[in-house]
Amino acid sequence: MALLDRSRWYDIARSTNWTPSYVAESELFPPDQSDPYGIPTAEWETFDEPYKVSYREYVNVQREKDAGAYSVKAALMRSQYYENADPAYLSLLKMHYGAIALSEYAACQSDARMTRFSKAPSMRNMATFGMLDELRHGQIQLYFPHQLVTLDRQFDWAHEAHHTRNWATLAGRHALDDVMMTRDAMTTSLMLNFAFETGLTNVQMIGLSADAANMGDFTFANLITSIQSDEARHAQIGTPVIEIMIRNGKKAEAQQAIDVAFWRIWRVFALLTGIPMDYWFPLEKRDRSFKEYMHEFVITQFERQLLDVGLQRPWYWEQFLDDIETHHHCQQAGIWSWRNTVWWNPTGGLGPDERDWLEQKYPGWNATHGKYWDVIIDNLRNGRPEKTEAVGMPAICNMCQIPISNKGGTQWKARIYQREHEGRRYNFCTPVCRWVFDTEPKRYKDWNTIVDRLYNGEINPPTAENILRYMGSGVVSEGGRDAHGYDWVKGYDRPGTEAAE
Amino acid sequence: MTASKPATRSKNMAGPLLRGGEIAVAACEAIQEDNPEKQVVIEDHRTYVRVEAEGGLIIRRKTMEEILGRPFRMQELEVNLTGFSGQIETDENYMRWYLKLDL
Repeated sequence: MALLDRSRWYDIARSTNWTPSYVAESELFPPDQSDPYGIPTAEWETFDEPYKVSYREYVNVQREKDAGAYSVKAALMRSQYYENADPAYLSLLKMHYGAIALSEYAACQSDARMTRFSKAPSMRNMATFGMLDELRHGQIQLYFPHQLVTLDRQFDWAHEAHHTRNWATLAGRHALDDVMMTRDAMTTSLMLNFAFETGLTNVQMIGLSADAANMGDFTFANLITSIQSDEARHAQIGTPVIEIMIRNGKKAEAQQAIDVAFWRIWRVFALLTGIPMDYWFPLEKRDRSFKEYMHEFVITQFERQLLDVGLQRPWYWEQFLDDIETHHHCQQAGIWSWRNTVWWNPTGGLGPDERDWLEQKYPGWNATHGKYWDVIIDNLRNGRPEKTEAVGMPAICNMCQIPISNKGGTQWKARIYQREHEGRRYNFCTPVCRWVFDTEPKRYKDWNTIVDRLYNGEINPPTAENILRYMGSGVVSEGGRDAHGYDWVKGYDRPGTEAAE
Repeated sequence: MTASKPATRSKNMAGPLLRGGEIAVAACEAIQEDNPEKQVVIEDHRTYVRVEAEGGLIIRRKTMEEILGRPFRMQELEVNLTGFSGQIETDENYMRWYLKLDL
C-alpha cells in the first residue's frame, strides 16, 4: 500500500497541544521544569524542527544502524584485536566507556524531561526520539566493553564508574548534572543539544574515529560514528529553541546558558579526548593533533553554527583558545603522576620523537610542559620510579573538579582564582570557572570537591590507602599504572637525544 | 575519493559529514551532480568524509536513486550522516545544508 508523503500529514501529527481544563497550565507545565523564561505557549507552538523524522522512519533507520554496528563487532570479534592491542589504546577505551556509557543513560533522562515538560509539541516529539537514541547509546556502550571485562577487569568501570566517587567521575558528573540533569526543559536543550552535542561530542565521536581506524579498531570507529549520526539529528532540537528565545527577548539568557554549558563540557572533554589523541596513540597512528581537531569541529564548525543562529562567541573565547594549548597537557602530566587514582593505565608516552611532534603542534611545549617531564624522565632513567608517583592531593577547582594547573617551566602561569561566598572560600582554576559560580552561587555552593571531603572528615581516616579506596581504586579493579611499564624512556638511550646527556 | 583542499577555508562552508563507505561515495557523486554551480570540497578522513561548498549544498533523492540503481529513501542517508556544518533542512526528496548569515 502506498504511503502518504510525510509532509502531507506531519503538521497534524505533531500538533498535540491542548487546552487543559482539569488543571491550570502552570500545573501541567510548571515553569521551573518547563519554561522559566515566561515565553507564551503560542510562541513555543511555532517550534519547527529542521531535522524531521516520523516514528516509522525512525525505527527503520535505527534498526539499520544497530544492525551495522553489531555486525561489524561480530565479524571482527575473531580477529583477537583487543587481546593484542596496545595497552595505551585499551586505556582510551576504558576511559571512554567509563565516562560515556552511563552518561548516555543520564542524557536519556534529560530528553525524557523535554518529552514531558516542553511546551513545544514538536520538541516533545523530537525529544522522544532523542530519548530512545540515548537509551541505545547507553546499552550499546555497555554491551561492547562487556566482552572485555574478562580480558581486563578495568573494563568493568564501563558500568561501575558512575557509581563510584572516583575524582574523574565526580568531575564528569558535576558537569553533566549541571548541564543535563538539573535544568528546565528549555535550558537543557540549549545546554545539552546545542552547546554539548552540536559542539564537543563531534571531536570525541567523529575525530577520534579516524585515529581508532588507524589503530585498526574498526569496531569502535564504526560504533562511535554510528552513535554520532543520532546526535547529529537530535542536537537540532536546540536550534528552534534559540530562535524562539531570541524572538522573545531572551537572547542574553540563551547566550549565558550556552556559555556556561560549553565551558563546563570543554573542561571535561579536553581530558577525555585531548590526552589520548596527543599522548597515547603511537606517533605513526595519529591523524592530527587534538588542537587541529578542535579547530575543525569546534573553532570552525561550531562557532560558525553559533553565529548563524544569532548568538555570539562565548565571552571567554580568547581564554578558551589558550586553554586548548594548555589544559590537557597539564592534566596528562597530573593524571600520569596520580595514575593509581584512575581506572585506566595512562602512558607517559614521551620519547624524543613524541616531544618533537608536540613541539611542532604546540610551539613552546618543551620549555613549559616539557620541564615537568624532564624531571620525570630523569628519575625513570636513573632508577627512581617511586619519585614519579605523586604524593598528597592537588588543589581542585570548586567548579570543574579538576586539579588546578597551568603552564610551568619558563612561563609559570598556574594560580588560583578565589571567591568568598557566605563565609566559605572557593578555589577556581580560571576566571571562567569562577564566573560560572558567580552566575548562580546557590546552585554550586554546597558541593564538596574530593579534597574538601578529605578535610571535612568524609574520607576518614585520610590515609593514602583509604583515599584510593574511597575513589574505588583497588575496589572495582586495580588502579592505574604506566601502560608501557616506562618503556617509552628507552628512546633517550639513543645518542644525541636531548635528555641523553 | 581524493582530498581537494583550498589554501584558505571560506567562513561560509556548509555540508554533510558522511561515514566512509558505499553511501558516502554515492552521495559525493550525487552532490556534485546536484550542485553544478558549486565548487564542492571533499576531504576524506577515512572514517568520515567532509563534503562542503560555499553557502551550502543540496542532495536529491532522485539523484541518489539513479546512482545507486535502486529506490532510496532520503531518511536512509541518516545512517551515514554522522554530522554536518551549517544548518540543515530535511524533506522526503532532498536534504540541504545552508547558512543564514553570509560572513
